[in-house]
Amino acid sequence: MKDTTAPAAFDVNDWIRQEQMPHFLCPGCGHGIALRALAWALHEQGIDKDRLAVVSGIGCSGRLSAYIDANTFHTTHGRPLTFATGLKLARPDLHVVVITGDGDCLAIGGNHLIHAARRNLDITCLMLNNEIYGMTGGQVSPTTSGGRYTSTTPMGNTEPTFDACALAAAAGAGFVGREVTMQVLGLRDLIGQAIAHKGFSFVEVLSDCTEIYGRKNDLGASPEMMLAKKSEMRPFAYRNTVDVPFRPNHLRTGVIARSDRPEYGAAYRAMAAGLRGEGGGA
Amino acid sequence: MMGEKLNRTMNVLIVGVGGQGVIMVSKVLAQLCQADGHDVKQSEVHGMAKRGGGVFSHVRFGPKVWSPTIPEGEVDILVALEWAEGLRWLKHLKPDTGTFIADCQKIVPPFACRNRKRGAEPAYAPQTPEEIIEQVHAGYVMDATGMAANLGNARASNTVLLGALSTVLDFPEEAWVEIIAATVPAKSVEVNRAAFAEGRAWAMGGEKRIDVTASGLHKAHSEVHHPQVDTILEITEEWCKGCDICVKMCPERCLRLNDRLKAELALPDLCTGCQLCAWLCPDQAISVTNIPVTEPAE
Repeated sequence: MKDTTAPAAFDVNDWIRQEQMPHFLCPGCGHGIALRALAWALHEQGIDKDRLAVVSGIGCSGRLSAYIDANTFHTTHGRPLTFATGLKLARPDLHVVVITGDGDCLAIGGNHLIHAARRNLDITCLMLNNEIYGMTGGQVSPTTSGGRYTSTTPMGNTEPTFDACALAAAAGAGFVGREVTMQVLGLRDLIGQAIAHKGFSFVEVLSDCTEIYGRKNDLGASPEMMLAKKSEMRPFAYRNTVDVPFRPNHLRTGVIARSDRPEYGAAYRAMAAGLRGEGGGA
Repeated sequence: MMGEKLNRTMNVLIVGVGGQGVIMVSKVLAQLCQADGHDVKQSEVHGMAKRGGGVFSHVRFGPKVWSPTIPEGEVDILVALEWAEGLRWLKHLKPDTGTFIADCQKIVPPFACRNRKRGAEPAYAPQTPEEIIEQVHAGYVMDATGMAANLGNARASNTVLLGALSTVLDFPEEAWVEIIAATVPAKSVEVNRAAFAEGRAWAMGGEKRIDVTASGLHKAHSEVHHPQVDTILEITEEWCKGCDICVKMCPERCLRLNDRLKAELALPDLCTGCQLCAWLCPDQAISVTNIPVTEPAE
């Protein structure tokens, strides 16, 4: 157990709106754990609540912004990254964190994700991947695993899935990471690194949808789903060192990709200052 | 000491923890006995113990050895590379003539840490070297690991014990050193030579010797101490949705769902304050506070 040298110990109640609790998420929903990890990471990074803007889209994940005691913004479906882009360009002094889901980010907002990653604007994007559209009735999403039953794939899903981290990294995101909800401390540290990174940082949180996805696919209750998700991951100590041939379905966790491409906001402001004749440029 | 020509089977039992070098000690001893013209049988348990589990090795030598294992109560010399392992095998020692040679360093096994409360004492063997030395015919309790660490490599503790063993058996010192040098890796010959000499010189000092303070290492181990804490686990029942995560994930299984399907602390004595339930609660309904126990004022 690590002794935290932080002046004040973390209390999640400092970061959530008490009058909104208990939240609307189903029993055992992994999004609640991601909420705590996010609040903890913000606390550890010493972020001032008044300098924090949390933007979210539509869906179960979109509701999380309502519970965070900061400047929050609940936007339209698939567009939290576009709202956040405008917000960050207008107010570069704010820390902008986007909470989005797998359907919100990859299906409806897939286009916005790749362009946000391409611009590399200093936004932290937290994608809560529960492999399903939970709030709208359990439709198939771009990350639903093969063979899974949903309300729109009653015979099992045959579509290939997106690897969201590979997508974000290929599109040019400065920081890409993935973690399961079971590893709260690892998730906290990963989100902390993402917040500290200058540039577009993308964190995929492998969450669990117990009530709709788990029930329909007979995956057990939330503890079983969390443990199964954890065991699908490449062991923490192995990451980036060896491939694990004996476990074909593993995913990597931790930091997946990292680059120091120039951040878009700085380039944009430099150009704007130059046009106004402030920077001494053209 | 054997003195004249050996006319019976000598039994040496070497015990320790996986990774300490039990097999190396027995190999050196067996080769030495064989070179001296004895009939030798050695049998060991290894591998299954991996690192951290119990390992033992029987070495028997004499004019003619029939069985490879030593019956209980027939061990002439018990060499323990770890204190509790030595105590475990103590009843195999010959009650009236046996010699006990042990390293006093403790390697606390996970099984002795069943009480995972912070500040809890491990359930390690409580016997002190003084109590044990009283019970045996001849005994040497030394800080072999500390001596070896002072020489530059704590892993040479098995050779320090070989040095002590060499004073009890009647083989020339040069023969010991020669076989040790041939057994250990080339880069560690010097430290093993020094460790052997140190152990031998120390054991020459008397038939019953205790010295547990050869180095600061022993002290440093016992100074690692976590302050005891009082744990307060609070569950906001209005927020709890009964998802069962805390109940299933608690390492001590001290939570349960009550008849209203709300989590409650059923066995508060078992709670170690690890906070896992609070971290994994999606509903932020659990808070765990660890308050250091303040010593009562004198």
